[in-house]
Amino acid sequence: MEALHKQFPQSDFALIAIVLLLPAIGAFVNGVFGKRLGKDAVRLMALSAIGGSFLASILTFVMLPHEGKLSWMAWRWMSVTGRMGQTIPVDVKFSVDAMTATMMLVVTGVGFLIHLYSSEYMRKDPGYHRFFSYLNLFCFSMLVLITADNLPLLFVGWEGVGMCSYLLIGFWFTEEKNAKAGKKAFVVNRIGDFGLIVAMCLLFYYVGSIHWDGIEKGASALLTPVKIWPIGNLSRETLPGFLGTILIPDKPVQVYGATLVGLALFLGCAGKSAQIPLYVWLPDAMAGPTPVSALIHAATMVTAGVYLVARMHFVFILSPAAMAVVAVTGVCTALLAASIGLFQHDLKKVLAYSTVSQLGFMFIGVGVGAFAAGFFHVFTHAFFKACLFLGAGSVIHAMHGRIHDTDKSQDMRNMGGLKRFMPLTRWTFLASCCAIAGFPLTAGFWSKDEILWSAFSAKIASPLPLSGMTPFEWPSWLGQAIYWGAVLAATMTSFYMFRAYFMTFHGNFRGWKIVRGWKDPHAGHDHHGHHEHDDAAPLEGPEPRESPPAMTIPLVVLAAFALFAGFLYAHPIHVEPLGHLLHGVFDGAKRVVSERAGAEGMMWTMMAPGFAAFLAGTAAAMYVYLNKAGAPERRFAESMPGLYRLMYDKWRIDELYDATVVGMVDALADIFTMADRWLVDGILARLTAMVAALIGTLLRMVQNGRVQVYAASMLVGLAGIGWFFATPHAEVVVNDADVRSSGEVKLSAAPGYGYSFHWDGTGQADPKLSERSDVTVRLEPGEKKDVTVKVKNAFGLETSRTVSLARPPLPSGMRAPDAAPKPPAMVRPDIPTGEIPGDQIHKLLMPRGADAPSPSGAPDKGDK
Amino acid sequence: MSTVPVEYFLIVAAVLFMVGSVGFLLRRNLLVLLMSIELMLNSVNLTLIAYNRLRPINHSGQLLAFFVIAVAAAEAALGLAIVLAFFRVRKTIHSDEANLLKN
Repeated sequence: MEALHKQFPQSDFALIAIVLLLPAIGAFVNGVFGKRLGKDAVRLMALSAIGGSFLASILTFVMLPHEGKLSWMAWRWMSVTGRMGQTIPVDVKFSVDAMTATMMLVVTGVGFLIHLYSSEYMRKDPGYHRFFSYLNLFCFSMLVLITADNLPLLFVGWEGVGMCSYLLIGFWFTEEKNAKAGKKAFVVNRIGDFGLIVAMCLLFYYVGSIHWDGIEKGASALLTPVKIWPIGNLSRETLPGFLGTILIPDKPVQVYGATLVGLALFLGCAGKSAQIPLYVWLPDAMAGPTPVSALIHAATMVTAGVYLVARMHFVFILSPAAMAVVAVTGVCTALLAASIGLFQHDLKKVLAYSTVSQLGFMFIGVGVGAFAAGFFHVFTHAFFKACLFLGAGSVIHAMHGRIHDTDKSQDMRNMGGLKRFMPLTRWTFLASCCAIAGFPLTAGFWSKDEILWSAFSAKIASPLPLSGMTPFEWPSWLGQAIYWGAVLAATMTSFYMFRAYFMTFHGNFRGWKIVRGWKDPHAGHDHHGHHEHDDAAPLEGPEPRESPPAMTIPLVVLAAFALFAGFLYAHPIHVEPLGHLLHGVFDGAKRVVSERAGAEGMMWTMMAPGFAAFLAGTAAAMYVYLNKAGAPERRFAESMPGLYRLMYDKWRIDELYDATVVGMVDALADIFTMADRWLVDGILARLTAMVAALIGTLLRMVQNGRVQVYAASMLVGLAGIGWFFATPHAEVVVNDADVRSSGEVKLSAAPGYGYSFHWDGTGQADPKLSERSDVTVRLEPGEKKDVTVKVKNAFGLETSRTVSLARPPLPSGMRAPDAAPKPPAMVRPDIPTGEIPGDQIHKLLMPRGADAPSPSGAPDKGDK
Repeated sequence: MSTVPVEYFLIVAAVLFMVGSVGFLLRRNLLVLLMSIELMLNSVNLTLIAYNRLRPINHSGQLLAFFVIAVAAAEAALGLAIVLAFFRVRKTIHSDEANLLKN
């Protein structure tokens, strides 16, 4: 340990480089050489890369100091000139504090388990090496994202995970649906990235620093009011008539800089973490292989938004308005996604919407100022959601033994009774279901409960009001409204999760009959007797089987964490080793977040609704899907087909977006296409081509291959040159640079062989003809002269040219330089002649108006 | 002994040049074309010699005339070779028939 501390000092902690580089190397090797290496070598490379990274992460976590953080600077990336002209350095610098270290463990640890799982799950895929290259690259990007010490470097990782998710969602890109899902994820994320870039620019401008410590120190600069409307110099005068009165308010709209930065950041987070309105990409992203869903869309990437909000908590706590937006968006997302999840048939779709819903919970946490709780939910969610996804993958893997169709093998209506065939998967799935639904003492229970309690009890202090601005006050009912909304969402969560569990693992296996081309061997000669076929009776054919150990070991490990990881931060019973670490990171938030009056001592009471939510949801699911085998759902669907369809169709939000946003963008694209076709292609390209073709046609007539025509054109050219030389040319260059000062103008005529010149009007006696080509003319102010030069060449031909010269008159009130008055004499004190008393001379020498020191004053004393 | 004024030489040279150039433009017989070129070259030579007489410093006019003669000899040799080769191909020396590369 001593040696390690010596090798890796706190301020130059190069171990981070190892954590980062191992996955990068793995991605490179598998990506470039993977095809030749073979599957075993690819697996070894990928697993050892991420495994080594995990070990290094553990070491980093252990070496985490109590105060401050570990940092390692790779190189100076660039520097930006700030608003005050100061230089803002942007470094490739990484730092690790408690939050980052925890996150590193999750990314590399869960990442390793998912790598291990994938090595079996993807065994038969021809793109094995490609898959592992992407997975490693993804882990690398995610590690860059969480270890980055400044926002631009975080953005590199941010974009990296975005790109990897695009590659992985569209991994089976030969099917158009998958490629489209990848594209959708990418495009929606771009919208969020726009917000992040805006936030970065605002921070550069207002704070003048971009790394975490610098932003935290300078965050108070964000408490300045920023005028957001009207923009620029827009005013009532510059807008026509009624528009001005409508659009321009009496007082310009001002917000706090912190609110602006917070909202811009949150737009980025909403894109990456699938919040309203940008959540639509995540459910579609289930088109990727199931381990990808577990890694990217449950455990790591989508939590980047929560991570960023927690990381930038020092900005958010300055703006209760931004925090309220975060929390309200979180609860709305949690409710909406949970309601969609209620009636989905696709197992992965249920999990996808539950992910969106759980992300909503995390944003409730960070939105009400409970950054540690929100982040802890990221931590626990990584375990139980990864376990759920991997369990679903295990189920789908088993279903594939019988059904070779992606959609049908994921449809829960074809499952049922799988607990008989795959007990290990069932038990781990059940454990994670309990965790996500909030069964007491499981991980999800502690983290969700902490969030609920924080929402119920939190009070966010507003910053001091500035001149002309009233800050947003955190209303006391808001926290409670969020609390009850979240409880409702939690009820739905436990309902749909146990619905999924019961439909998948309990009852009778319904997948016997849906194998493509499968025929009931008794159907042909079964005329007499039992017409109603017993669903449970197994038909011949492959049975679903438990997955191999490489897939079940990760399930068991994750399920164990899903059950017990909550004790790392069990606030109500004061067992919180991780909580202490995290609270150090979020120390600054304590100034602003406090307990609401009237919430003291209600912690245990307010746990009851949370537990009731679990009970109600689970009991309802058990009644509907275990006891009645889904009959009430079918009755509901029959009695209210409209509502059922609407919820099954995800409230048709996608259709709404298609009709509005996507339609508008499409229309815009159509306009640009037209402009391209007619303006660029039509006028610019074709017209230019036509002109060139016309000139070419004309020139082609000249080049006809007859030597005589060429010779004739040469002769014509020769005659032209001869004509030029035979005639005289009178060109005069006038140099009047000095005309204002001295009145001299230099004239020079273009020389030529055998030329002689005659200057006229220069005011000098000139020889009749001379070879003098230069002459200087002198002008008086205001004088004008016409100078004529006659040129005669060797053939005796003459020509002439006249140039008019003028010197501007001097401005009135100013005389010619020679008559200029002397500069005013220096003001001298009047010295009277005659005898003057000695003590007065000093006074007289002082300029007028200045106080003379008293002759017997202090200065004199100093002299003596 | 009276000298011939330089203008006379120049006029003769101009006439020679005109005869050569018109011949080159109007005739189609390759041999005549070559002879027209020679005529033009010699008219230039005549001009050079005449000016050299006007300004005999360095005798640069005469020198240049020798260069022209040398070039003319080379040109005649090459030109005649081309004409000969052309005749072998096309069995004619009409310049308009030299259109194998056209189209």
